[in-house]
Amino acid sequence: MSTALQRFTRTVDGTIPVPALLYVDEDQICNQDNVGIYDGIQKSSKHQNGTVYVTSHRLFYIDATKSHSHSFSLDLALVVRTDYYAGLFASSPKVTLYLASSSAAPENDLANESWICELCNFRNPPGTSLSAARCTLCGVPRARSSSSTPTPAYPTLRSGATLRPALTDPAPSRSPAPAEDEVACPACTFLNHPSMKECEICGMTLPRLHAVSAPASRAISPSPEQQSADESGTNMIKLSFRKGGDKPLYAALRRSLLGKAWEVQRTTRSVDDTGAERSGISGLIRSAEATAQTRQDDMQDALADLETLMVKARDMIRLSADLNERLTAISSVVPASDASATSILSSSTHTSAYAPSALIPTTQTDDATFIRSSLVQLGLHMENTPVTLDMIRDEKRWHEELARELAGVLQGSGRGPSMMRTRGIIGIDEVWGGWNRARGVALIPPETFLQALPHLGAYTDPPIQMRKFPSSGLTVLHTPSFAPASFVGRLQGFISEHGPRTTLEVAWAEEIPTALAAEMLAEAEMAGEICRDETPGLSLGLGADGTGEVHWWLNIFQTYQWDGQEDIDTLHTSLPM
Amino acid sequence: MGLSTYLTPSGFLLPSIHSAPPFFVQQPNPATQAVVTEQWTRLVLSYARHRRLFFLRLDDAAAPTGEWAEVLHNERINRAPLPPHLALVLAHMVAKGLAAYEPPRQSRTVLLHWRLPEEWAEVLHDWAVGTGQLNTILTFFEIAEPEVESPLVGIPAPLLRAAIAVLARTGRAQAISIPDGEGVRFFSGRATK
Repeated sequence: MSTALQRFTRTVDGTIPVPALLYVDEDQICNQDNVGIYDGIQKSSKHQNGTVYVTSHRLFYIDATKSHSHSFSLDLALVVRTDYYAGLFASSPKVTLYLASSSAAPENDLANESWICELCNFRNPPGTSLSAARCTLCGVPRARSSSSTPTPAYPTLRSGATLRPALTDPAPSRSPAPAEDEVACPACTFLNHPSMKECEICGMTLPRLHAVSAPASRAISPSPEQQSADESGTNMIKLSFRKGGDKPLYAALRRSLLGKAWEVQRTTRSVDDTGAERSGISGLIRSAEATAQTRQDDMQDALADLETLMVKARDMIRLSADLNERLTAISSVVPASDASATSILSSSTHTSAYAPSALIPTTQTDDATFIRSSLVQLGLHMENTPVTLDMIRDEKRWHEELARELAGVLQGSGRGPSMMRTRGIIGIDEVWGGWNRARGVALIPPETFLQALPHLGAYTDPPIQMRKFPSSGLTVLHTPSFAPASFVGRLQGFISEHGPRTTLEVAWAEEIPTALAAEMLAEAEMAGEICRDETPGLSLGLGADGTGEVHWWLNIFQTYQWDGQEDIDTLHTSLPM
Repeated sequence: MGLSTYLTPSGFLLPSIHSAPPFFVQQPNPATQAVVTEQWTRLVLSYARHRRLFFLRLDDAAAPTGEWAEVLHNERINRAPLPPHLALVLAHMVAKGLAAYEPPRQSRTVLLHWRLPEEWAEVLHDWAVGTGQLNTILTFFEIAEPEVESPLVGIPAPLLRAAIAVLARTGRAQAISIPDGEGVRFFSGRATK
């Protein structure tokens, strides 16, 4: 007969601090030192002075002197009853734990190893207590009667009724030894119903079962054994508190026993399982949701910040408008008080403190101009500000200078390359791009560019004019040779010389881009100088021109006189030409 | 440009503009297009008068053969007006009173008035007087297909009806409904030619 300690406890290495020994979901509740252990009725010689730790799942005894070899742990699942003896005189208070074996016993020593889930074959890391164990990949709870390292025969050291199918088992059991009255076929190893005489799959005759639970152990109810053991003390352990502290520890112990943390996972599938949340498909879905939620929150924070920024910008604009108004108001006072102001200014040099109103106007005019022009340049256009002469005075000079520079870029200085030397007409987008590239770092914004363009004619020879096509809004710079009238004249000569021309041919002849040629031809058409001929889909047989291109003719309709059949018997007035 | 007129096998002289491909193309420029439409109108009416064609359909533009092929198709330059262009011409003619949608309330077929209904009325009355058929009831069939050649051969019923209406206003004709068609009786009336 083995002792209770041998059967029910497991040795642990006491040098490892207890928190490291705990399962992931196990919590330490209470501990008490100076405790001795009674194995059954007698004192256990090896465990006389140590510390007892009560956790939610187990009871640890760490020996004080030989912690490495004399420490053990006891699963609280094995505790059936507890007893409390308060102690009197010389005997110390004792707590008795009556233990019973359960089918979970044999797997206890495997809880500290990694285990393989039966469903997905994923090797789970160790650390979770048996009952709480769920496969982290598929979320299926760990099987009751399975073992991670399949052994050919069940370890029978501590098992009482290992093979009894008393406990409902959610996980499928693929234990190597047939369980639950099933007969393994000798040929195909299929587990048949016990009452089958032949194998369901292969038809082999099945060996007859002798006793269902013949191997391993006698499947007898544990109670007679238990009761007898009770009296003989082989199923009980006592904790002797040499230095007190029994009451709180006993209370903690009872709480743990009541809480039955090891059974929670088995019975309930409650939503607030911390293990379930992190595992399996639902875990993946939940983690995806969490990511999306975080992203959403971050976005909203960013948008809130943006709104604040916009509010601040509005404040700034309002302030600048205020400032502008004040400047306008003050500078309008200038002409009246200018004469007096200058005299005051000349007479008093340290008048910054007094007569500020008289002093301000003079300085304010320049400042006002400066501030206003900088406001305009910042892009904060004020609707009510008149464009005063002083504000634009400098800018006009600046624009003229820019125009001069642009003229140089366009027409060259006689030696270097230029943009318009060989081309008479050019789109302003090309001009702007080329000019900025020539300028390098000091770029010109489009608005300034547009303001500088009107001055271009004064600095270019032949004068370059700007023109905007009405149909598409394209703006071009062109030399006089590309003015509409001269272009049309050339075009007409071209057509009469060579016959009807396509847009492409015109573009080649004039050496301008095709789109530009199309623009100019459209303009000429709208002016009535040319007319079109195109061959749409309807063509008779294989005509010479089935491409669908537009050919441009001179406008033959302009001066056409009817020269067809004269109507001889018409009674009504002739049609107008 | 060197455009020239062309004499069709049926004896119709096509104008030089008919040899110009742009004539067959709808011009975006409204002024130019107005000229084009005008010339088309004249051409169509002239040809209809020459060949005594009363109807013009949009489908005639699509068919390479037919009564209008000489005008609507120019094989020499391989051009034909597209149906939208032709519809424009038809609409112009109807707007000027030179044609009428027949049957009404559609825009694919027109009845050409190369002779206005008023003129048809005169011709009709003159013919009735000339052939001595006053005061007798004549059916439309007899008028449109007489045994003797007359300028009224092939006149469609709606046009005839319009002409009779014109005459009726001046009391020179009276529409009569008879079995198997419509009839008319002409009177001498006091209207001068």
